[in-house]
Amino acid sequence: MLIITRISRVLSNFKNLAALFAGACIIVSLVGILSLPLAFEENQLYPKTQLDPSSALYPYDRGGVPFGTTEVICQYPENSPYAGYVTTYLTPLSLYLAENTLYIGTTIVAHPGGIIDEILYNTRGADTVVETSILFTAFAIASYLYRREEE
Amino acid sequence: MPDIGGDPLFVLEFGDILHYYTPYTITLFLLALIFTGLAIASRPERQIDIAFGGDAYYAKETTISEMRFRRFMAIACGLATMGAMGSGDIFNFTLFVSLVGIANIGIVAAVKSRHVLNAAYEYGIVAMVATLPLFGGAALVAATTGTLAISVLAGGGFAVPLVAKAFLALGVIGEGMAPFYAAKAEMFRAPGAPYVIMCSLSSLLIFLRVVEIVITI
Repeated sequence: MLIITRISRVLSNFKNLAALFAGACIIVSLVGILSLPLAFEENQLYPKTQLDPSSALYPYDRGGVPFGTTEVICQYPENSPYAGYVTTYLTPLSLYLAENTLYIGTTIVAHPGGIIDEILYNTRGADTVVETSILFTAFAIASYLYRREEE
Repeated sequence: MPDIGGDPLFVLEFGDILHYYTPYTITLFLLALIFTGLAIASRPERQIDIAFGGDAYYAKETTISEMRFRRFMAIACGLATMGAMGSGDIFNFTLFVSLVGIANIGIVAAVKSRHVLNAAYEYGIVAMVATLPLFGGAALVAATTGTLAISVLAGGGFAVPLVAKAFLALGVIGEGMAPFYAAKAEMFRAPGAPYVIMCSLSSLLIFLRVVEIVITI
């Protein structure tokens, strides 16, 4: 049997898909580990500073004065002349939760992309829009599949 | 902006996140737009299985609720693909790609057919796991260069590690399954033609886009 025939036979079975992808991940991860150390760029555009564990918004508290302008490093400063309104992005309910509980900062992680959500910053509003779209799409699928059982 | 797509025709600004359209990406964008329009306008196909050796045949009906849900998911997938085509920010691009992956799962998850759901399950596992290399690649780019804007990275002066590019490409491959159509071929047996082809088209488009990004940065 030709080797291409064998390869295509393995590839054509979708039960091997997860294993194939896992193998590819392992190979790339090994290459990544071998290429360590990677230099960390000190001059970060979205730095992780001002972390205050006692804040209710921890670790997403980016500071800033509500209805005021805060100095923010931007990639394109001309696009964000009013940067620094970060705490005013909260809805009244979230603001109430932030003022009265300690857990509003942790609920944001409950969706895809939440793990590196900490790079979310004042000037990156479009990210938040897409993240919530992902969350709502996932909810739509789950609710459809759940309600289909009742038919 | 020295990229393979040509000079941007116009730029859409959302703070630090730019959406720009080069002749290359606008072609992909228009392709996604036209196909989304087709998915909205067309009615689902009706498959007919003929029982061999007799006069019998089985007509597979797509119910209205299933058709509506899959059309909604196809539109969501088309919008996410259009977003991914124009995005000029690596993290924003990875978010759109993971939205494409979830919408793809939604399109096939609505089908009530055992073999289709089996294939969709395998594909769903891969699509969920693929978010790890996808967002890992974006995080590596952010950590090693300090920025995420593709136009700034394309300007030169940044050493984007090869492994970050490999992770990005691997994540997009996992979300869209563009090179591995094994599971998709099974899923295409689901009745309802324009919606399942949306999976295929979106994965092809996001793969073409990530190739451009990896070469550019």
